[in-house]
Amino acid sequence: MEVGLTERLDSFVKKHNDRQLVAIPLAIFAISLLILALTFATSGSPVKLGMEFKGGTMISAETGESLQTIEQKYADYPINDIRQAGSRVIMQFGPMSSELQQELISDVIDSYENVEINQIGPVYGESLQQQAIKAVIISFIGMAIIVFLIFKTFVPSIIVVMSALSDIFIAAAFMNIAGIELSLGTVAALLMIIGYSVDSDILLNTRVLKRRGTTPENISNALHTGVTMTSTTLAALVVMYLVSTYSYLLSSSLSQITILSDISIVLIFGLVADLINTWMLNTSILRWHVTNNATRRRRA
Amino acid sequence: MRDDEQEQSIFRDIRVIIFILAILASIYFIQPWYSSEEGLTSNLNYGLDLEGGSWLQVKLQGALVQLDADSGLLVKEIVNINLGEDIEIQSVNDGPDETTVTFTSDSLITNNQMDQIGVGQTTISRADDVTEVIVYSSKEKLISTYLGDSLKAEVIPTVYSDGTVEYEIRTAISQEELEKLMSDVGGSIRTDSNGDAIYREGVTTETRDLTKEILSEKLNSLGLKDIPVRTAGEDYIIIDFAGIDLATARDIAEKPGKFEIRIATQGNESKHVLYGDAIESVSIVGYNENDGQWYVPFTLTDEGALALQQVAIDTGATSDPLSHNLIMYLDENEVYSAPLSYSAAAKLEEVPIYAWQASTGPDEDSKARAEQLQIHLRAGALPVNVEIVGSGQVDAALGNQFKEQAVLAGFLALFGVAFVVFRKYKKRSILLPMVTTSISEVVMILGFAGAIGWQLDLASIAGIIAVIGTGIDHLVIITDEVLYEGKLPPKKVYLTRITKAFSIIFAAAATTIIAMSPLVFMGFGALKGFAITTIVGVLIGIFIARPVYARVMQEILETNSRYTE
Repeated sequence: MEVGLTERLDSFVKKHNDRQLVAIPLAIFAISLLILALTFATSGSPVKLGMEFKGGTMISAETGESLQTIEQKYADYPINDIRQAGSRVIMQFGPMSSELQQELISDVIDSYENVEINQIGPVYGESLQQQAIKAVIISFIGMAIIVFLIFKTFVPSIIVVMSALSDIFIAAAFMNIAGIELSLGTVAALLMIIGYSVDSDILLNTRVLKRRGTTPENISNALHTGVTMTSTTLAALVVMYLVSTYSYLLSSSLSQITILSDISIVLIFGLVADLINTWMLNTSILRWHVTNNATRRRRA
Repeated sequence: MRDDEQEQSIFRDIRVIIFILAILASIYFIQPWYSSEEGLTSNLNYGLDLEGGSWLQVKLQGALVQLDADSGLLVKEIVNINLGEDIEIQSVNDGPDETTVTFTSDSLITNNQMDQIGVGQTTISRADDVTEVIVYSSKEKLISTYLGDSLKAEVIPTVYSDGTVEYEIRTAISQEELEKLMSDVGGSIRTDSNGDAIYREGVTTETRDLTKEILSEKLNSLGLKDIPVRTAGEDYIIIDFAGIDLATARDIAEKPGKFEIRIATQGNESKHVLYGDAIESVSIVGYNENDGQWYVPFTLTDEGALALQQVAIDTGATSDPLSHNLIMYLDENEVYSAPLSYSAAAKLEEVPIYAWQASTGPDEDSKARAEQLQIHLRAGALPVNVEIVGSGQVDAALGNQFKEQAVLAGFLALFGVAFVVFRKYKKRSILLPMVTTSISEVVMILGFAGAIGWQLDLASIAGIIAVIGTGIDHLVIITDEVLYEGKLPPKKVYLTRITKAFSIIFAAAATTIIAMSPLVFMGFGALKGFAITTIVGVLIGIFIARPVYARVMQEILETNSRYTE
């Protein structure tokens, strides 16, 4: 299947001209922007904020009780959400006073087995939110500086940075569609996308700009290597996602591992976006840039 | 065609030697072991989310500010808060070292009352039904006393060499609240050259460390050994309670220790004087120029001071201080014992003393003892108000299950990757070194974790899986670059290709490291593990494992081409 994908992508890139090729990723980028803008307009932030950034308490525990029973039992607490995964129940509470918190925690610890609790105060959540924004911006600027240092020319550098930006935006838009909230895990994944995204772009640009041989040949070669890279990483992440998210289907007492699940699913979105951006956006602009330069040089 | 150099054994290559040493060292640090009783054991430390336990993240509430105010109004307000007297300010003299304020009042004001307020030396005279009081103090003393009395919190001034004074207010106070308090005494928050108020939420590093120490001390005194208390960012402290549930952890952190002062009577007997609740405040350790001793200043409440005076007289400590030591206990353990000074003993005969100094001696050791005593005097009460901003718990059985699932995810991920690689290259001679290199990188990351005692948590394991992903990416780049024409190129070409492959890899690694580094330096507790394992893994990969992979590939291709020739 991987080989099939590579060949199909390769012939697709060869068959379409630069303008056609660039249109697809730009359209996806525009749609993503629209989704993020819509979410921003309705909720005040471009992605839905999770408990860690809004403050609240997440409790997951093993129980035989039904959802209704539990929901009634904790009706006096600010319960926001309750769901079941296998024999475990996952409850989300909004912020509450310290005394109420202590009461709830003691009750849960006494009543249930295999408890996991995570609590974040609303003020701290807000400061985490600001830090997360800062982290993403610093990380992005750092990456851009490194990229410019590597290529030293404007066009190749700016398209690498643009692809990375588009990767993050598409991944974030996907999060909104799939209903995944921004958590510490997903922030880490977004930063990792910055790292991963650049890998294949650097490969492509280096192969095209620094290797002898015709440009289409170099692009095709780079594409074969690049798609292999992305698919190996995707394989690792898909496995991590399945094990951390759906293992309770095999044995109902197994628990979801939220942080692993969050990191892997967002990285999967990011890598798929990266496939499109590297091999359509970056490739088409680079191809145009190289031919343009070559014709100019010939004229001179 | 091949020159001699290539005939050289692969095991003499410096890169290979380093690799083998690194692997051996890693195995030494991991110390994997299997015994029938304990199952699989190792030297690795696991985070609470894998080991089971709970954690608390607390914020230290406070503010660091620079302030200015009118000395006369300060004294007026301080006297009003403490004595409920309305006084008349007569004159104010703000000198460089000393501020002198003279005020008058119709009521009787005693030396004792002024001592209790504790703003400095006072001279009191009374004539014609009017009391005249001269206060010798300093502006920073007045400001910190005023704020401390208004907020019922400690306010510590620090004077810097350039003359600026920074006040640490050890309780939560917003900028607006502070502005309002200062405007009552004709003052304000100072502004910097941009006109912005010099106000920052938080506490000084020293206070943060002191709080951390008190917490550690307190947890250890409860018999909970080795409870790590970490600082995270400037104003946060994280406490890990292995094997303790969250409800208990919160109780422990909020419960103060039991502090008691007693005075020795005869032999081993002693008489109770007061408990920790009678200590009003504890200041920072100081050095007394007059008697050359380090000391901890602390003040007593009304009841505390009276109780101490009463017991000192009853036991005879005022007449014979040397045979009646003043002894302090924290949770039943003696933490300080010394006689009253003669001057204090003589004064106690007359009046109660509110402001005390516990001296420990002249040398560096004494300074350390004073700092220790300062912690004890607080009886586990923290110097600043703290707020629990985050907490969590994972049951031990659940943690164990997470561990197994995470390890399973790691192995399956490796299989998934191997499958994709095999589909692409269809050669075992490539698959094997690739997967082996990837495994060796994981072993070295774990070895590194074992060596520095790094705690592996779920985020770190996610980092390791991510590194498997990037690691294989880089091996694919090397492989494709070398196999460009399907067979081994001449040595010179081979070397330039390897160099090219590595220039791509280094560039990619540099961006990953840069992208991850904000997580290492910013205060995200949970994500630090992810970032560190990723960065360490990438470094180990590019400097140790991947060069060897390139060397092994060369060897394999050579062997292959020799067979085909």
